[in-house]
Amino acid sequence: MSRDLMHSVELKTLVRDAYSAVDSDTTNVALALYDADELAGVPTESISGALGVNNHLRFAEIDEGSTILDLGCGAGIDAVIAARRTGPSGRVIALDFLTDMLERTAKAAAQAGLDNVQPLEGEMESIPLPDDSVDHVVSNGVINLSPRKARVLAECARVLRPGGGFCISDIVVEENSLPPEVLTHPAAWAG
Amino acid sequence: MAERDFVERLEKSGFTGIEIMDRRPWGIEDCARYPLFDRELIALMRKVIPPECHDRVAESVVVRARLGR
Repeated sequence: MSRDLMHSVELKTLVRDAYSAVDSDTTNVALALYDADELAGVPTESISGALGVNNHLRFAEIDEGSTILDLGCGAGIDAVIAARRTGPSGRVIALDFLTDMLERTAKAAAQAGLDNVQPLEGEMESIPLPDDSVDHVVSNGVINLSPRKARVLAECARVLRPGGGFCISDIVVEENSLPPEVLTHPAAWAG
Repeated sequence: MAERDFVERLEKSGFTGIEIMDRRPWGIEDCARYPLFDRELIALMRKVIPPECHDRVAESVVVRARLGR
């Protein structure tokens, strides 16, 4: 295995461990990003586990009946909101590499009375879906966690139908804007 | 990742009509709301980043695009 790939594996392990260890209530994150109307009817299971960084669903052009892929669904807050938008004739495929997160999303969808949320275990660098199979990709603060971001975007392009939509929230940092001891800190990557 | 790098990678993957729909400053206090940023890192950021930059250490953006036909 090359050094780069080893580094990649180490980073993925770091992110996996960091997210698996999260046990605190992050309702304050949800309240900072979503308004009351958006959160109405979203189960506490999802709100208390919000780890997003913005509210891209306000800008996503989601048609009723469309198939949406939520990349890194976490506790399911965006999957639940998107599932309402696409309605019963559409579906949200909620992808995450952590079983605990998928279980939270499934539980939240059931509590919200939604049967159009499909949890899917997998990695965003190798999305377990056929080519041209989704209409929209959404994601919230997840792509920046991957050590292979170009690969993630290529996978998004592969699974999207031609003309499909892509709308995500993420954190961007300009080069040299932060001291190296911060940029290289392991928790900075996981966060 | 820098915003321009993200946009370039989207273009290389075949996305078009790339737009930044929202842009919010991201400060150390924003980081502190997330359990993934541990206390050690938050303390380090407060120590080594100039105080005048504490409110904007990064940006939260919403990016929208379409896959080319």
